[in-house]
Amino acid sequence: MNTPSQAFTEFQVSLAQLGQNTATDDWSDDQRMERARHTFMSRLDRRAAVDMDTCIHCGMCAEACHFYVATQEERFTPAYKIDPLRRFYRREVSPMRLFNRLFTRKLDADDLREWSELVFEACTGCGRCDMMCPMGINISDNINIMREGLAAAGLVPGELRELQDEQREKNTLFGVGADELRSVASKLAEQGTQLPLDKVSADVLLLTTAVEIRLFPEAIAACAKIMQKSGADWTISTEAFEASNLGLISGDKASRRSAISRIADKAKSCGASTVVVPESGHAYQALRWESANELGEALPFEVLAISEYVARALKDGKLSLKPASDLGSVTYHDPCRLSRQGGVFAEPREVLQVMGLDVRETDSNRRENLCCGGGCGEYAISRSARIRQQAFDLKRHELDDTQADAVVTGCNNCRINLMIGAEKSGWDMPVISLVETVAGNLAE
Amino acid sequence: MTLLDFARGPALQWSLIILVAGIVWRVLGAILLSTRKDLSTPRRKSGLKDGMGTIASRSLPASAFEKRIRFQHITGYAWHLALFVTVLFFGPHILFFESILGFGWPNLPNGVVLFAGAIALAILIALLIRRATNPVQKLISNADDYISVIIVMLPLLTGIIAFAHIGARYETLLAIHLLSIEAMFIWFPFGKLMHTAMTFPSRFQAGTSFGRRGIKA
Ligand code: SF4
Ligand code: SF4
Repeated sequence: MNTPSQAFTEFQVSLAQLGQNTATDDWSDDQRMERARHTFMSRLDRRAAVDMDTCIHCGMCAEACHFYVATQEERFTPAYKIDPLRRFYRREVSPMRLFNRLFTRKLDADDLREWSELVFEACTGCGRCDMMCPMGINISDNINIMREGLAAAGLVPGELRELQDEQREKNTLFGVGADELRSVASKLAEQGTQLPLDKVSADVLLLTTAVEIRLFPEAIAACAKIMQKSGADWTISTEAFEASNLGLISGDKASRRSAISRIADKAKSCGASTVVVPESGHAYQALRWESANELGEALPFEVLAISEYVARALKDGKLSLKPASDLGSVTYHDPCRLSRQGGVFAEPREVLQVMGLDVRETDSNRRENLCCGGGCGEYAISRSARIRQQAFDLKRHELDDTQADAVVTGCNNCRINLMIGAEKSGWDMPVISLVETVAGNLAE
Repeated sequence: MTLLDFARGPALQWSLIILVAGIVWRVLGAILLSTRKDLSTPRRKSGLKDGMGTIASRSLPASAFEKRIRFQHITGYAWHLALFVTVLFFGPHILFFESILGFGWPNLPNGVVLFAGAIALAILIALLIRRATNPVQKLISNADDYISVIIVMLPLLTGIIAFAHIGARYETLLAIHLLSIEAMFIWFPFGKLMHTAMTFPSRFQAGTSFGRRGIKA
């Protein structure tokens, strides 16, 4: 298994081409600093201040970070990734700032450039360090602040910048927009699965992603079957189908907001009570946890991950599953942003168990689960290929140790990264999608 | 005024004033910063239970991570315990607290306390060496990290010397011991000794912010 399909090979070619024609900002170092400064100032609130004031520089967080553990490069220590923010806090915000200035070196644009590598290329925002820190510091939150500052300063890696701009300006990703969705819809219709596109009103707004359209149309078909079987009144919008949010990853506020608004507006206009997020961890984080804050108001609809939707439909008796006959044991890989950052741990496991599968846990699991190594846009950044592969090797060993027949996951990005890693290392554990497994075992 | 009078009088008073005012200033300075209300719908109600849960859990072994951080956990526990024993159960210390608080408590034998003090000092020396040599810690350390350790070592060192009556008159040794403690009080609010006041609030906020998303931090 895991033989790369043609679509997958083509997708990797598009990945390799990313960032070659990216827009750049013609700003002086002073302008970049000023923009970063402005962002840091507005984002260093009480929470962040307590974090900045509490770190004891024990270095334990290094042991949680797959990039450090895999490479033993001390620069990948989580606390070090937020060091510029801490220095900024100490000099500009701390109640001891006048004193701190005597000892704390001022931040400059070269620092920002150096840390752009650390926070974008060597961090997947997985939050594992947050669970380890003995002081309870939310390091990944602070890394997000770093990313936002760097985005404001125009220092996002080319690949992410290109994708983020494409999404904001053209409402496409990897060139996938409304037309590509329509053509997938007609292909699926030929195979007997209808996608009710652009219904004027619907109770459930189902999202998908460009990655699913290009690589995993079976996942879209699977969601559609689940919707149908569970009797939902549902739709997919050709204007607002994209669940991914590149602005969440790159730290660019305008991009993040526009992607969120597009979905929220569509959900409101079609009167949806529920927005269902497909298998994408960061999309779940963006919609479930960030969108209300981004828009400044509570949302008039509920956001569910597809696995939550399935678990609920099973409970409500709207869906039933038969035992999975082609699989015996599986291990479930918790996508960081769906689980550790998003809180969805139980539902996917419940669903797998309903199908009679023997669910084996990896040595680190649930809140301590090891990241696949390439989540959250990381796999798009060509310069981080080496450390990503090393991080993947850690993950692979834990997965192998379970001796399960397959690894199931609930995120396209994890799936892609595991597939890339498998291809490079000749690893042969099948990587399968939860939603596709469910759709393959729907009871009549 | 002798050195001891100075150490017991104005030096003690002023260092305590700086200590208390500094802590208050720094805690308020962080706590009074605004923070935006989280508008997302919580998965479940979170609050005291999650916050207290994380305060407790971060003091316990860390399951899957534990084998990688055992050294820090054990030294961390041993150091804080040895410090408490030394500070709180040494006879003369208790007399000193009694003169301020008006009540005392039973002391431990001097030999036990001396042993605890020596352990505490030894751990600090080990941690200092580790900080200067371990690649991760070396990279992330700043001046404060070294100053704070050294300034805590001094009272232990001068205390042991005073106890053993080595090198000078007892009054002088005692004065030096007091002055080293006062130096630590003065440094306290400026550096990372502040974690004493910040750790629980920080863990608490981690507990509640993950808790509302349904994650046991
Ligand atoms: S584990 Fe926490 S306290 Fe220790 S260095 Fe990392 S962030 Fe700082
Ligand atoms: S969030 Fe994950 S990848 Fe980023 S520093 Fe922490 S452990 Fe490492």
